[in-house]
Amino acid sequence: MSEGGSNPPRSPYEDYDVLEKWHSPDWDEPTREVVRRRLEAIPSLRFFTADEARLLDAIVERIIPQPDRRGAERVAIVPWIDEKLFHDWRDGYRYEDVPPLREAWRLGLTAVDATARHQHGRAFADLDAPSQDEVLRAIQRGDAPGEVWSHLPADRFFRDVLCLTVVKVYYAHPSAWSEIGYSGPSSPRGHVRNWMGGVDPWDAPDPP
Amino acid sequence: MLTAPGIHGDRVPMRDLSRDEVDFCIVGAGAGGGVLGAKLAEAGFAVVILDAGPHWDPTRDFVSDESGSRHLFWTDERITGGADPVELGSNNSGRGVGGSTVHYSMIAMRAHPDDFRRRSLEGEIAGAELRDWPITFDDLEPYYDEVEDALRIAGPTFYPWGRRRRRYPQREHELNASARVLVYGCSALGIPAAPAPVATLSAPWRDRPPCVYRGFCNYGCTTNAKSSVLVTFIPRAIAAGAEVRPECMVAQVAHDTRGRVTGVVYFRGDDTTTRHFQRARNVAVCGYAIETPRLLLNSATSMFPDGLANSSGLVGRCFMVHAGHQVFARFDERINQYKAPPGLALTEHFNRTIPDTRFVCGYTIEAVGPHPVDFASRATTARGLWGPELRRLMIDYNHYAGIGIVGEVLSQRTNHVRLDVRERDRFGLPLPHIDFSFHENDRRLVHHALAQMRSIMHAAGGTDLWNADRTAHLLGTCRMGRDPGDSVVDGDCRAHDVPNLFICDGSVFPSGTAVNPSLTIEAIAARTADQIKHAARREL
Repeated sequence: MSEGGSNPPRSPYEDYDVLEKWHSPDWDEPTREVVRRRLEAIPSLRFFTADEARLLDAIVERIIPQPDRRGAERVAIVPWIDEKLFHDWRDGYRYEDVPPLREAWRLGLTAVDATARHQHGRAFADLDAPSQDEVLRAIQRGDAPGEVWSHLPADRFFRDVLCLTVVKVYYAHPSAWSEIGYSGPSSPRGHVRNWMGGVDPWDAPDPP
Repeated sequence: MLTAPGIHGDRVPMRDLSRDEVDFCIVGAGAGGGVLGAKLAEAGFAVVILDAGPHWDPTRDFVSDESGSRHLFWTDERITGGADPVELGSNNSGRGVGGSTVHYSMIAMRAHPDDFRRRSLEGEIAGAELRDWPITFDDLEPYYDEVEDALRIAGPTFYPWGRRRRRYPQREHELNASARVLVYGCSALGIPAAPAPVATLSAPWRDRPPCVYRGFCNYGCTTNAKSSVLVTFIPRAIAAGAEVRPECMVAQVAHDTRGRVTGVVYFRGDDTTTRHFQRARNVAVCGYAIETPRLLLNSATSMFPDGLANSSGLVGRCFMVHAGHQVFARFDERINQYKAPPGLALTEHFNRTIPDTRFVCGYTIEAVGPHPVDFASRATTARGLWGPELRRLMIDYNHYAGIGIVGEVLSQRTNHVRLDVRERDRFGLPLPHIDFSFHENDRRLVHHALAQMRSIMHAAGGTDLWNADRTAHLLGTCRMGRDPGDSVVDGDCRAHDVPNLFICDGSVFPSGTAVNPSLTIEAIAARTADQIKHAARREL
């Protein structure tokens, strides 16, 4: 595995598109319904303000950078976080040192910007990428400056609120499935060649 | 006449018992309540089973998609704290008829004779509360047989650990790549490993087909190969005349002036104001180790000021999980960890107190198989990966295999479920607040297990190893015992303080064991039903 570098990897599964199996026996109708909504019904913003959305967009582009995708190819992430917060969909648990979901996000976004201004004198969204990463690493380490972080542990926010949510949205998208060669939905057909090195005809083929 | 969802997209007729005084009102339709309800209904009792979530139709409600399955989990807020706060929600908490068995990994293991005698074997350990169980392995053995038959467990012809046993009802499943990694690694080190006994069909059974290895077991089985309580005991309960009433959030267990329970107060659906009452001669609380103590604590009255059945002060105390730490490694061959049930092989070689170590009790090692959302979540939380590094790791998703433990943690009084008086749910009920910290013994066990798992992964040819700290399962909080001052229920799951109140789920475990708990919960429930039948016969 190559280390370092700021570019996302080239997918070894370049000719594989999980969506080509849409009409195959791997996709049942309830699954199509769920994924269709993810592809076509991207919600408009109802929770975040325009400024918060711009800031979160900039943060998300560092956590899951997509310089390899343009326009509509890009996997939308912020709208789905917005939807979760608009409906206040919880996860079944909250760490005792973290405020309730919506409050944690609002506080966390404010604090990220405060840290950016403290470290670099500018809003997070206006920084260059290396400076943005520097801000996020300080937050991840839990030693970010900013008064707001006294109400919200920075490392906990970064790991269990921010990164976890962003990553879950991205890897739920068929574009990410195709990128990593994930076979995706599998009902009712299932799988047959389950041994080491086994590749079913409906799996992503081995790279040449 | 009501109807309930069948398991093939059909509807089945079901009795309406809402206006009756039933013999048993059971709260929670999972591994405990589903089995108990079915057997009591078959014995001729009038039974209603309430569940907070929906009655799933496997043909419509389950999908082949991780994030499209969030409705299967208990997502109501719970506060988690302590030195090692437990991850809840999709990690260990089900919602709906079938409970956590709808999304469990189906690993169907028996506890061992020693598990029931922890105090006798290990003595006193500072900071921990080791207890012998009031029942023995011999008491449960016929019920393990019974539930293994009912679930048609598929397992190996020869199972190398535990008491000699008869053959499993169905043949073992072919191992997937992750399971082979575990077996290869163990074999290279001289550690015995075996195919796991699992609750999914390897051959057709009645109206259910064998497993097609689609691998979404943790998100509901669309083909009904999986022997969840939803497709096994629940249809039996309904056929025997029980009513299964979904979307009922029970707020309180009510009692009379003699201190006997009289029924339950509950909310139905999204209506958060109308309080319904189900009259019952007996109540069984089967909500798993958080909702069960929460309900009992929320049922406090002037007669039971510390909560129902809580004269010992132990309701909510001695909360346990299993250490669930995992090790992932990269292999040159394709693993495709999304295929087939996640835990198809295991080793119980370390499920014992190991000589020359500084900890007691042990752990099972099992194969795991997370799908991408879950795998990426572990990579970012366990390794702190984000940015291009995370995307690079995920490119190798198909080449990773993982193994993890079910490790016994010691019971500690300070690990507990209590009510959070500052925050309430949509029904106005105080939220549960869970405190959990590992005991020093647990930390030593985990340290040992991680070293063993890393050796196994190296021996199997794995590279780029990384660990993920996790926990699994919810146990304790209403432990069974002989002494009413030191336990909540007796060996028959009957509350010491309230003769017509039963608790029947993972809450009653006095110690954790180092095996997946579902089969033991089901065996306890099957035995409890028989004990109730015998007692009723005596009273006639």
